[in-house]
Amino acid sequence: MSIVEVDKVSKHYGTVAALENVSLSFADGEFFGLLGPSGSGKTTLLRSIAGFVEPDQGDIRIDGAPVRDTPVHRRDIGMVFQNYALFPHLSVFDNVAFGLSVRGAPRREIAAQVAAMLDLVRLGGLQERRPRELSGGQQQRVALARALITRPRVLLLDEPLGALDKRLRQEMQIELKQIQREVGITTVFVTHDQEEALTLSDRIAIFNEGRVVQVGQPNEVYERPATAFAAAFLGDANFFTGRAGSPNGTGSLGAGAPRRVLLADGDAILTTSPLPADGEPVRLAVRPEKFEIYRSGAGPAAGDAMNRLSGRVLQAIYSGSSITYKVDVRGQEVTVFEQNRSAQPFPPGEAVDLVWAPRHSVPVEP
Amino acid sequence: MRIEQRRRFAILGLTAPTYLWLALTIFLPLSVMLYFSFLTVAPIGNREPALTFAQYGAFLDKEFYRFLTWRSVMMGVHVTLGCVLIGYPAALILAHHVPNRWREALFLLIVLPFWSNALVRIFSWTMVLRENGLIDRGLQAIFPDAPSVGILFTYPAIIVGLVHSYLPYMILTCYISLQAIDRSLIEAARSLGASNLAIFRRVLLPLSLPGLLAGMVLVFVPVIGSFMEPRILGGLEGVTLGTVIEDQFTAVFNWPLGAALSFILLAIVLTILAAAYPLLRRNLQPF
Amino acid sequence: MKGLLKSLVSGYLALVLVFLYLPIAVMMVMAFNQSPLYRLPVVWDTVWFEELAGNERLLGASLNSVVLALINAVIATALGTMAALAFARYQFRGKTLLQILLFPPITIPWLIIGTSMLILFFWTGIGRGLHAMLLGHVALSLPYVIVVVGARLKSFGVTLEEAAATLGASPWQVFWRVSAPVMGPGIVAAALFAFAVSFDQFVISYFLAPPGISTLPVEIYSAIRKGFTPEINAISTIIILVSMGLMLLFARFSRFGGER
Repeated sequence: MSIVEVDKVSKHYGTVAALENVSLSFADGEFFGLLGPSGSGKTTLLRSIAGFVEPDQGDIRIDGAPVRDTPVHRRDIGMVFQNYALFPHLSVFDNVAFGLSVRGAPRREIAAQVAAMLDLVRLGGLQERRPRELSGGQQQRVALARALITRPRVLLLDEPLGALDKRLRQEMQIELKQIQREVGITTVFVTHDQEEALTLSDRIAIFNEGRVVQVGQPNEVYERPATAFAAAFLGDANFFTGRAGSPNGTGSLGAGAPRRVLLADGDAILTTSPLPADGEPVRLAVRPEKFEIYRSGAGPAAGDAMNRLSGRVLQAIYSGSSITYKVDVRGQEVTVFEQNRSAQPFPPGEAVDLVWAPRHSVPVEP
Repeated sequence: MRIEQRRRFAILGLTAPTYLWLALTIFLPLSVMLYFSFLTVAPIGNREPALTFAQYGAFLDKEFYRFLTWRSVMMGVHVTLGCVLIGYPAALILAHHVPNRWREALFLLIVLPFWSNALVRIFSWTMVLRENGLIDRGLQAIFPDAPSVGILFTYPAIIVGLVHSYLPYMILTCYISLQAIDRSLIEAARSLGASNLAIFRRVLLPLSLPGLLAGMVLVFVPVIGSFMEPRILGGLEGVTLGTVIEDQFTAVFNWPLGAALSFILLAIVLTILAAAYPLLRRNLQPF
Repeated sequence: MKGLLKSLVSGYLALVLVFLYLPIAVMMVMAFNQSPLYRLPVVWDTVWFEELAGNERLLGASLNSVVLALINAVIATALGTMAALAFARYQFRGKTLLQILLFPPITIPWLIIGTSMLILFFWTGIGRGLHAMLLGHVALSLPYVIVVVGARLKSFGVTLEEAAATLGASPWQVFWRVSAPVMGPGIVAAALFAFAVSFDQFVISYFLAPPGISTLPVEIYSAIRKGFTPEINAISTIIILVSMGLMLLFARFSRFGGER
């Protein structure tokens, strides 16, 4: 339907930068997630696209045309608010009909379209209810129907599922994605929930302190975080710091083969990712579920294909389907996440080895 | 820049009418009254006023005025105490011992009289308190030879009437702060072994203190400025600072003296309000 | 033990309610008692209400009270709603000061406010009369209107208006289709409250009433001071029923607001 471009947009409140030179482009029909902690600028960007916030610098274009001088009500957007902002004085029908009604659409057309839209969000039969008589999930669907009925060029979602409990949220995620596919509308949504962002988005932008830290598909962003912030914010991460290569010439093991990162005390970690020149400082991130944990000395041997570090179990946290270990590795606490395959977790104090493939060691910017 | 200008224009346009109105009817009159309190005579007609401290001097010289002020303050203290003693327990019961479905209706029932005409309510007491009034007749119905206990036109009658007038306000402020106390706090205290008395002293009272204090201020302040209640219920006993001020404006026509006495009253009131401002801000809601 | 406590507790509340309502009830009964000397047992009669119907002074004062309360409600609600909108929708310097300035009209004793108005109005030639009372009543009503409407505005915030804008509503449409209906119950509640403030106001009116013009409370006060007649019971009964009725309506509307 539409392409939205955000071009070098900045917005300052006093001395605080809410957005700092942000550029993003949302493709036609794309489901795009803006993810970040509160105050990171993601909501400011969403509200800038909607027209509630006027950027200090930069342009926002919808289908190539700058919208700077277009007031909110002429931007032809649909928006779902965090607490839905359903009109309390109007019925479900009138809420959904609102956008058509202010545009002066004929009654019959409104009735037909509202009925169709309520069917789409599976709310047929609730037309006459007031918003306060609906459950949270139903209110959410009314808000979505209301935003979609005018066939807007862009759909903006501000923490759309934030007010729902966990189970309902998971249900609604699937449904939201289905509806978006069906309608095929370019959708930008804001969330601070990493799982939600990964589940829903075609692409994700991670925000921190008004800047975009990383943009990519969910698996790219998760598997290959660009910065330490991105790695830690999206899921859990363990960090190892060292220096690239090897001073005694064994750093490179041939083209395409893993390279070494030397830790302070002589241990080394292999990675298949490109590294800076020999001797430069490197920070590696390893996700907790990438480790395999073995009794000391057991499991596959270390070598060119595998990393292996020894440690001692500090704590084992049993949570049914999985076990989370805190392991002391060379004085550093490392989090390890293991599927519960063996019925007997390692007890605290047990000496263990952590083994993982070199491709799971990802160098990140500090 | 244009957005900022429009915003300022909107704020100014929306607030100016209210504050111009308040300036004309509250703040300007108070200033003019202050000016009047330093005059020898009111500058009305063709009298020539002069600046003087005589009006305030009269207050300092004549023991009568100091006595009246003392009396008004004591009246405020007595009424406030009466309201606290009757009102706080009522608020406590309402907030924590009345089942939910009754609470709102009972609350409304208690607050309702407060928002009805004060003059009429005071007047209604004359029928209860006077000789051969309701109390007397009730007593005589049981003890045919009982002497009259009519207290109309005495100091206690004034106190009864004023407590009746302001009790709902006290219950209101206490109830608001008591009701805001989470029940789990009480349960937590009980689980820690606190007795009912200990729960009251160490949990309920400290947490509801702001409401209690706000209620005390909101009762005390209007009471020391009251004149209609002492007049109707106190008769000759009902001379207070308030009634003397009223007389200066409606009977004696010594406006400068009335203004000076008003300002002494206002000074007492403002001192109390300023001290209690942080509490008032939180509690001053009309419902 | 628990049962005893329970009955003590409800007994206490009942006593408080008796204290609050007893004198009012007595007055109402006496309004229907034929005897002008309040003899018992009560002989039910509406003679005092009939007398009232022929009392030109009281009727004139009643008319003044109602008209004054109506105009007061309109002006105070309009101005107060505007100010409440400014407080709810904008952040600006001096806002706290402006809010503090709302305290004097409700916390300074009416005696002081009334006499100072008398001085200013008399001195400047504004004079006494219904217009002067109106000036005073609106000043007393404004803080309440601002609080009541403000509470309503606060509970909805600006998102409803923003939502309407994203759906294509022009600012004009936003106001008429969303802001006004949503604020509606709050505005009705505020207007009822303002009406009651004026209708019950005695002190300010008393000082600003010139000879020959009065409102109901002022008329009652002078009647009481002259020595009361049972007619006062009758008119007082009417007043108290009116103001309690207004407040019940107010409670309905403001709670109605809270729910939605």
